[in-house]
Amino acid sequence: MLRSHTFECALHIDWERYEIMGEGRRRLLVIEDDPETAEQLVDFLSTSGYQVDLAADGNEGLSRGRSADYAVMTIDRMLPDIDGLAVIRRFRDDGIVTPALIISALGEIDDRVRGLRAGGDDYLVKPFAFAELLARVEALARRSATVVKETVLRVGDLELDLVARTATRGGRKIELLPREFQVLEYLVRNDGRVVPRAMLLQHVWDLHFDPTTNIIDVYVGRVRRKVDSQQAYPLIHTIRGIGFCVRAPS
Amino acid sequence: MLLAKTLRSSTFKLALIWIGIFGALVLALLGYVYWSTAAYVREKADRAIAAEEMILRNVYDSAGRDGLIAAIKDRVAPGRSESGVYLLADPSFAPVAGNLEAWPAALKESGAWYDLGAREWKPDAADRPVLRATFDTLPDGYHLLVGKNADNLDAFTRKIEVALLLGVSLMFVLAGVASVSVTRRTVGRIEAINATSRSIMQSGLGKRIPLRGTRDEWDQLAENLNSMLDRVEALMAEVKQVSDNVAHDLRTPLTRMRGRLEKAYDRPHNSNYDHALIGDTMADLDAVLRMFSSLTRISQIETGDRTSAFRTVNLAEIASEVVELFDAAAEDKRVHLDAVVDRRVVVTGDRDLLFDAVANLVDNAIKYGGEAGRVTVEVARNDDGAVIAVADDGPGIPDDECQHVFKRFYRLERSRHTPGNGLGLSLVAAVARLHGARIEMVDNRPGLKCLLRFPSPAMS
Repeated sequence: MLRSHTFECALHIDWERYEIMGEGRRRLLVIEDDPETAEQLVDFLSTSGYQVDLAADGNEGLSRGRSADYAVMTIDRMLPDIDGLAVIRRFRDDGIVTPALIISALGEIDDRVRGLRAGGDDYLVKPFAFAELLARVEALARRSATVVKETVLRVGDLELDLVARTATRGGRKIELLPREFQVLEYLVRNDGRVVPRAMLLQHVWDLHFDPTTNIIDVYVGRVRRKVDSQQAYPLIHTIRGIGFCVRAPS
Repeated sequence: MLLAKTLRSSTFKLALIWIGIFGALVLALLGYVYWSTAAYVREKADRAIAAEEMILRNVYDSAGRDGLIAAIKDRVAPGRSESGVYLLADPSFAPVAGNLEAWPAALKESGAWYDLGAREWKPDAADRPVLRATFDTLPDGYHLLVGKNADNLDAFTRKIEVALLLGVSLMFVLAGVASVSVTRRTVGRIEAINATSRSIMQSGLGKRIPLRGTRDEWDQLAENLNSMLDRVEALMAEVKQVSDNVAHDLRTPLTRMRGRLEKAYDRPHNSNYDHALIGDTMADLDAVLRMFSSLTRISQIETGDRTSAFRTVNLAEIASEVVELFDAAAEDKRVHLDAVVDRRVVVTGDRDLLFDAVANLVDNAIKYGGEAGRVTVEVARNDDGAVIAVADDGPGIPDDECQHVFKRFYRLERSRHTPGNGLGLSLVAAVARLHGARIEMVDNRPGLKCLLRFPSPAMS
């Protein structure tokens, strides 16, 4: 009951923040042939502040992708006419570098998936949680934006000194192991956004699989104890079944 | 049935082709022998006739026609050579002396050689003998015929003919019989394999190809096919076991979810209650999906060829990272977790999969090793290659369970109430197999020690 509450809280506030942050309505292209999935995707991504165009097959996707400038596109791997990976390849051949998120019912033990991830694209296995989809789309959209070189990250009363590798909350130092600091840094960098477990594992440990055990939760749980215990408000939230989110009360 | 198959078989057709080729060669060779023998014998006869003619011609030159007539008469007198044939005829071919009653009509050109059938020179005789003859016209216009009864010659060549024909036909018959019997044997063995395949298709994998105990190549083939069938049968049983388990492990959460939804459908809607219900249902669904991804992940590792993505990985580093990652989990259970590693132990492999495998072993050790226990991850290099060992000091597992724990969905009775789906060790086994590593489970006195032994790079 309590965990369900956290879940709701984080998801709700998440969406609101996108509007508060006023990042503008960025355009997405969704290439998906199943009408119901397509409708859910469009509906969800529109609610999350994107302007979404839909293409029902690979050829339509190719022509739409060539005629407009999109922030990110999501491509179903098994389209009725062209393989989703081939669609990406054609875009790249045409010099269109829009980051792509392949959505597939096939597993991810595949060298081509690694190739995708190495090439700046991403891969998501069906069925997926919408929050995870959004997190990955967000990550891809940010990849094209400029990265600001900060030396100090702040969220609420938490402060991370990226040079000294130290964390303080309300002026009091938090003792963190190096890896714990990396975890916290990644979460804080994505402040306000949901970070799926697999993305955390990918960025902090450079491992490309979705762990079937709850080990990441346990690990982040310890980081949270160090960061949030005996504080006025919690910063690290667990989004059940998906991952984590760092957020200060607004 | 078997004969018809024998005649249709490709071995038999091939044998026929070779019999044809060898037969033609043998025929050509024997034909040449026959022809040259016959020519030699005939030439010898001709030389004898020519010599006789020369003698008579000398008689004529020295003693004149009368002397020649006397010499001919002397030669054809009873009791003399039976085979010589002589005839002196006047210019109009009327016989003057000799043992031929009339001048054969066929003889027209002097100096040429003739073969005359019996009727042409001995109308009263039967088919033989044949006459070999030549004639010369003397200076006074008389014609002198000298010949030889060629019956001997004919009989000789006929004997050769018969011998050759008999030999060749015997060869063909024997070759035919040999090829039929060899083909029949081959077809018989293949037919045994075919019959087994058919009965397997009809009634399942229980049948095996009978062995004849001859230890020949056919028995070896049958043995190999049989062991392949054993393997297929074992795999099928495993697949069946897995799908039974999937069905079982799916039914439980699905039943829970269905019941929950049904209850919510029937009762008046209440936001708080519905919220909890949806949350629980999503958690159950996530568990089901996790099980599915574990299963597909294992089967992808088992079937896919990922060795192309292999890099040099440091097992020591992986072990340290896993230990670090599980530090928090160990702390929660008051388990003392540490790593004893050589600085650098490299193997060729897939870092993600090796990490996942070691993580699963450590996860198990912490989960089942018992509260406040001790879990050690050791990485070492020895003569045989690299070894990674995960040891706990918990209750361990009975010896007879060791071989089963790597099966999909296999769970020890005492672990039924701990979270998990019984797929962790199957994944470890799949990853080990992919890397050519051997898994061992040994008694840690007390506890369980699970070892992954990697072959040394030189061997792999």
